[in-house]
Amino acid sequence: MAQGMNSQQPVFRLEGVSKSYGSVTALRDITLSVNGNEYISVLGPSGSGKSVLLRVIAGFDVPDSGRVVLEGRDITDVPAHERGIGFVFQNFALFPHLTVFENVAFGLRNGKVPVAAPDVEQRVKDMISLVGLAGMEGRGVHQISGGQKQRVALARTLVMAPRLVLLDEPLGALDANLRHRMRNELRAIREKLGVTFMHVTGSETEALAMGDRVVVLDHGRIAQFARPDQVYGQPASPSVAHFLNRYNIFEGELSGKRFTGPFGMIDAASVTPADKPACAIRYDRMKVEEEGTPGEGPAISASFVASEYLGSSVMYFFEAADGRVIEVEHHLSLGQPQSFEPKRRYRLRWKPEDAIVFGRG
Amino acid sequence: MESRVLKPVLAVYTLLFILFLYAPFFVLAILSFQSGPEGGPQFPIIEWSTYWYRHIFGMVPPSRVAPLPLGEALFRSLTLAFMTMVTSTVLGVMSAQAFRRKFKGSGLAFYLIVLGMMVPGVLTGLGVSLLANNILGIERHWWSTGFVTHVVYTFPFAFLVMLAILNRFDASVEEASWSLGVSPARTFRKVTFPLIFPGVLSAMLFAFTLSYDEFSRTLFASGRDQTLPLAIYGTFSVEIHPNVFAFGVLTTVFSFALLSVYAILMTLSVRRAKKVAMQEDIA
Amino acid sequence: MSGTAVRQAPQQKSRSSAPWLIAPGVLWMLVFLVTPILLIVYVSFWTQTTFKIEPTLTLQSWQAFFGSDTYLNSLWTTVRIWLIVLASTFIIGYPTALFVGLFVKNKTLSTVLLVICVIPFWTSFLIRVLAWRPMLGKEGAINILLQKFGIISQPIEALLFTELSVIIGMTQIYVVFMVGPIAFMLGRIDPNIIEAARDLGAGFGRIFWKIIFPLSLPGVVVGAIFVSVMVLGEFATAAALSGRKVNLLGNIIVTQVGSLKWALASVVGVILTIVMGLVIAGFLRIVDLKREL
Repeated sequence: MAQGMNSQQPVFRLEGVSKSYGSVTALRDITLSVNGNEYISVLGPSGSGKSVLLRVIAGFDVPDSGRVVLEGRDITDVPAHERGIGFVFQNFALFPHLTVFENVAFGLRNGKVPVAAPDVEQRVKDMISLVGLAGMEGRGVHQISGGQKQRVALARTLVMAPRLVLLDEPLGALDANLRHRMRNELRAIREKLGVTFMHVTGSETEALAMGDRVVVLDHGRIAQFARPDQVYGQPASPSVAHFLNRYNIFEGELSGKRFTGPFGMIDAASVTPADKPACAIRYDRMKVEEEGTPGEGPAISASFVASEYLGSSVMYFFEAADGRVIEVEHHLSLGQPQSFEPKRRYRLRWKPEDAIVFGRG
Repeated sequence: MESRVLKPVLAVYTLLFILFLYAPFFVLAILSFQSGPEGGPQFPIIEWSTYWYRHIFGMVPPSRVAPLPLGEALFRSLTLAFMTMVTSTVLGVMSAQAFRRKFKGSGLAFYLIVLGMMVPGVLTGLGVSLLANNILGIERHWWSTGFVTHVVYTFPFAFLVMLAILNRFDASVEEASWSLGVSPARTFRKVTFPLIFPGVLSAMLFAFTLSYDEFSRTLFASGRDQTLPLAIYGTFSVEIHPNVFAFGVLTTVFSFALLSVYAILMTLSVRRAKKVAMQEDIA
Repeated sequence: MSGTAVRQAPQQKSRSSAPWLIAPGVLWMLVFLVTPILLIVYVSFWTQTTFKIEPTLTLQSWQAFFGSDTYLNSLWTTVRIWLIVLASTFIIGYPTALFVGLFVKNKTLSTVLLVICVIPFWTSFLIRVLAWRPMLGKEGAINILLQKFGIISQPIEALLFTELSVIIGMTQIYVVFMVGPIAFMLGRIDPNIIEAARDLGAGFGRIFWKIIFPLSLPGVVVGAIFVSVMVLGEFATAAALSGRKVNLLGNIIVTQVGSLKWALASVVGVILTIVMGLVIAGFLRIVDLKREL
C-alpha cells in the first residue's frame, strides 16, 4: 500500500519542542527525526512526558515552543483533524454508540472528503479482516473482548491510511497473554502496510522487542535514541540503564578514567558522558564465586538472598554490605543453575570491559 | 443506648413530616370531587361528583361559576415552555461545553449564569419590565419579554445539569474522532452529542417544567395575555371554587405522566448500559 | 480507565471556539439579568407623576418609601416572616434530615425518602399554595379534625387569612430546601468518627453538639440561603393565604407596578436586593463554603 516511501527519508521531525503545564515541564527541547516505514518505540517511566509527546505530535496539545514537521510541512499550528496522523488510545476510546463496522467506517464517512458508500464498505471489510475480526462487524463495541477492542481501535485508525500512527500504551489494558500475542500482530500489520508506528510504552521489554529504534525519555528529555541492541548494550546514561531493568548500577567517584565504587577501583576503557558518576554492569555479565576464590578483575562481596526461575534463565538476588540488592542472571544455555546457601557471602565478579562507566569525562 | 430510642422517634417524626408535605394535597384532591355547582371549596363533601372536572372542559351547563380561562392559557404556557426549553438547553450545552477548559473569566461567567436562578422572580420580572416599558418603550408579551426572563431562570439549571454530565465525559473519544480527520463540529454532532443525550434530556425536562410552572417573572414580564399559572393566580383574589382544585389534580397528573415517561426512558437506557456491561464481563 | 482519560481538554477548541460557545449565554445574562437589575437602581431615582414617569433624577420615591408607615411596615413584616420561616424550616427540617442523612444506613432508602420529599415539587407552585385554603379554613380539614377529636369546641378562625397561615404555607413549601443540603452533609459524616466518640463514652447529646451539628453546619447555611432568597422574594403565598393582610416587599412591588408606579416599585426592589445581599453575606461569614464543600 504505502511501500513506495523511501524508508530513509524522514516522515516527520520534531525541532526543539517544549511543553509545560503550569510549573510542570513535560517536554524539554525535544528534537527527533523519524523515517518512513519504521517502528519507533518510546520508553519512559510514568511522568517522563511520553504521553505528552504523542499528544503534541497528534495535535491534541500545542507545544510552547518548537516545530512539528510532517513530510516536510510545518504542522505545528494545524488542528488535529487536519494532520492525518492516526492515534490509538490506551483505553481504546471506541465510540460506544456505534457497532464495530461503524467504528471502523467512522473516519471515512465523516471526514473532509466523503468516500463513496461502496468504497467505504470495501475498505472497512478489508481492514476488519486484516485485523482478524471478520464476522464481528455487526457487534456493539461492548460485546467484544479487550483484545478485539484493541483490533477495532487499530482498524479504525489504519483504514484512514495515515502516514504515521501514534500508539499510546496500546497494550497496557490487556492481560499478559494477550499482550504477548498482540505484539507480534502489531508488528506484522505494520509491516504489511508500511506505515510508521510510534509506540509509547512503560515496559522496557515491549520497547526493545518492538521498536526498530527506541526513544528513551527521561524527565521530558530524550536520554537516548538508538536501535534496541544499542540501547540494551550501551545505555547512554545511568537512568537509561535503570529503566532497562537489566543493570546493576553502582554510584561512586570518577577521576580521569578511574572509577571508585563500593567494589573498589577500576580503570575504564572509556567514559560515557553523564551528570553523575556511576558504573553499570549487566545482570548476565556477573559471575558468582565462592568467597576467597582467587580471580581476575573487579568484584564485590554480597550475601545470597533468593533465586527466581524464569524458564530460560535464573535470577539470583544478593545483598551487598550497604544493603543494596544486586541481581545476577544465569542463562541456562550456558550451564546448569548453581545453588547457593542463603545468608552466606559470595563474590560477584565481572570482566572490566563489561562495566559501563558514566561521568563527566 | 439512646440512639435505640432516638431512631424510632425520628422515624415517626419523618413520617409526620411527610404527612405535613402531602396532607394539603390530599385534602385538595378530595375536595375536587365536591358536588357542583352549589358545593363550595370546603368540607363537608355534599355529594361525590366529577362535576368540577366536567366544568373545566365546559361539559356542564353554564352556571354562576365562570369557567377557568384555560384553553388559550394552556396553549401559551406549552408554547412558552417549549421555546424556553429549546433555548435554555442550547445555551446550557454551549456554555457547559465552553467550561470544559479553563478560560479567562470562567469564574465570573459561572457566577453570572448561576445568578439567574438565585435572583428572585420579582426582581428579574420588575427589571425586564422596566427595560421594556421605560427604556425601550415596547409592549410586553409572553413570547418576548416573558420568554427572555424564563430563559434567564431556566438556563442556569440546564447549564448545571450539562456541566455535571460533561465533567464525567471521557474526552478521548472526541480526540479519537479528530485523529480520524473528523472536524470538531462534526465530532460534536456525531460523537459528543449522542453520548451526552441522556443529560440533554434531563436539562430539557428541567427547563420545560420550570418554565411551565413559572409565575412570578411571568406576572411582570408577560403583558396582557395570560399563561396558565397567571390564570390560576387570577382566581386567588376572587372567590375560589373546587374547579381550581380539580384543575390542580389534572396538572399534577400531567406532571407525573411527564415524569414517568422520563423515568421510563432513563431506566431503559440505564438497564441497556448494565446489560451491555454484563456482557462485557462475560466476554 | 487509567489516568490518561483525565486530560486537558482539546487545545484547538480553546484557541478558537470557547469564547463563541460562552458568549451567547453570558450576553443573554448581561442583557436580560444584569442590565435590568441595574435599571431598577436607576429608575428608583426617576421622577414619578400620577400617570407618567420621567428620567429626571430625584429622591422623591425614596422619601415616599421611608416616609410611609405602610411601606416601612412591609419591610419589617418581610424581615419578621423571613426570620420565622427560616427558624421553622430549620426546626422542622433538621430532625428529618438527621433521620434521612445519618440514621438511615441504607443508601436506597435514604434516596427514596428524599425523592418522596421532592415529589410535591412536581405540582404547580400555585396549586400547592392554594391547597392550604381547604386545610386551614374555618370549615377546613384541621378544624374539622380537631373538633371531631373534641380538642376544640369552636373552630379556630385565626388559622386562615392571617400571618400564621402565610408562615405555615411557606414552611411547608420551602422546608425541603433545608432538609436536602443538611441531609447531604450528614450523609458525608464518617460513621467511624461517631463510633469512636461513642467508644470514648460520649452520650448522644454530647456527640450531637460536638460532632454532628458542627459537621452539618455548611448544609444548614446552604439551606438557609436557599430558603432566605425564596422567602424574601415571595409575594404569592402572602397574597393567597393572608387575605391581603400580610404585605411583603414583593407584594408592594406587585401593586405598585399594577398601578404603574415604576419608581416606587424600583425603590422597593433596591431595598429587597440590599436586604438579600446582607443576608447572604451574613450567612457566608458563618461558614466558608468553598472550603467546606
